Amino acid sequence: MDDDSREFERFARPHAAAALRLARTLVRNEADAQDVVQDSFLRAFRHFRGFSGESPRAWLLSIVRNVSFTLWRKRERDDPGDLEPALEAEPDLGPSPEARLLEACDAAQVHAALERLPGLHREVLVLREMEECSYREIAEVLGVPIGTVMSRLSRARVQLVKELVGDPRSKN
Amino acid sequence: MSPFDEHPRGALHAYLDGELSLEGSLEVEGHLESCSACRRELETFRALRRLLQAAKPAAPEAETALMRVARSVRTRRRRVYAASGFGAMAAAALVALMLIPRGTPGIVEEVASVHARALDTGRTVELASDDPAAIERWLSTRLAEPVPPTAGGDGFALRGARVDSLDGRQVATVVYQVRSHLVDVFAWPSSERDMEPRPSVAGRWTVCRWSHRGVAYWMVSDAGTEDLKALAALIKERRT
Repeated sequence: MDDDSREFERFARPHAAAALRLARTLVRNEADAQDVVQDSFLRAFRHFRGFSGESPRAWLLSIVRNVSFTLWRKRERDDPGDLEPALEAEPDLGPSPEARLLEACDAAQVHAALERLPGLHREVLVLREMEECSYREIAEVLGVPIGTVMSRLSRARVQLVKELVGDPRSKN
Repeated sequence: MSPFDEHPRGALHAYLDGELSLEGSLEVEGHLESCSACRRELETFRALRRLLQAAKPAAPEAETALMRVARSVRTRRRRVYAASGFGAMAAAALVALMLIPRGTPGIVEEVASVHARALDTGRTVELASDDPAAIERWLSTRLAEPVPPTAGGDGFALRGARVDSLDGRQVATVVYQVRSHLVDVFAWPSSERDMEPRPSVAGRWTVCRWSHRGVAYWMVSDAGTEDLKALAALIKERRT
């Protein structure tokens, strides 16, 4: 049993922080996020011996995601409508220098803007840009095809730029 | 003719993310050379990436959570978890599984884990009903030989039913509630001879098996042994 738990620590430690960051993007408060991570580790511990996939990280993160949604259902009892992103055509970015405007943003603004995005957009951005997961890993975590990862990510980026520097089309 | 005479859209993101083949990358680069709009878009998304990476929060608490889990599974001592709380449920289920002495039939663990999973997922019943006839009808559409459920009484409220897989077969699971405790009763036709209900404690759970006139039963709950005995007696008594 001791060996099991130490081996599990070695298995999970490199991905622990990523697990908590994903939990934070999916649940509303820090206490819930830590509960989610702890439950996820427990579930992972039960099954990690049988793990034979390519990416332990993707596997752990997919558990975090499932546990987060279970918590949501328990708490909210209704559909997490907030998760569904509004389907929008990608805007034409136009002539304004978004890149320079983005350079001027700080971390607090980024987090506030992420908060305003639908959950499906938030999680794909966090997985890609903060955790630097590959499309294949993200597809595994989210349980969707790789093509969906790409299109969701592109919509999410456009959406986040819009949140941070405004809709270029609404300006002159 | 290049596939990117049109703007590459999704492929621009795949390019930014290093997910394109060499050939695909060259095609996107070819397009970028001649399209300032896409160059600007790429520049924007690169700036967004730098911004997100700079805003990546530290998460030292994750290490604490990992250590807590490792410690909790390392100790074999029986632990008391608060009866409520989301975190407690999974922890309790895990500890229950580990506390079951080695050598006992695997079915005890299976019964406990089916019950824990139902509580974990919040999917305690598939059909919510307190009407035995309605439950029997529902079960008969799902199982070849459904065991008819027993009506509630004596402090046990009938809550509904599920179908679970147990010991390699599909079984009828009838769910009762006594005070704040849910009780799962699994039943299937069996040729084993009659056996008296003998509740025992397996970690957090109380389990109980018995056989009665061609039906094998398993029961699991976080209620006490007396509760399980009483429910088994009620079920036996009401079989006509």
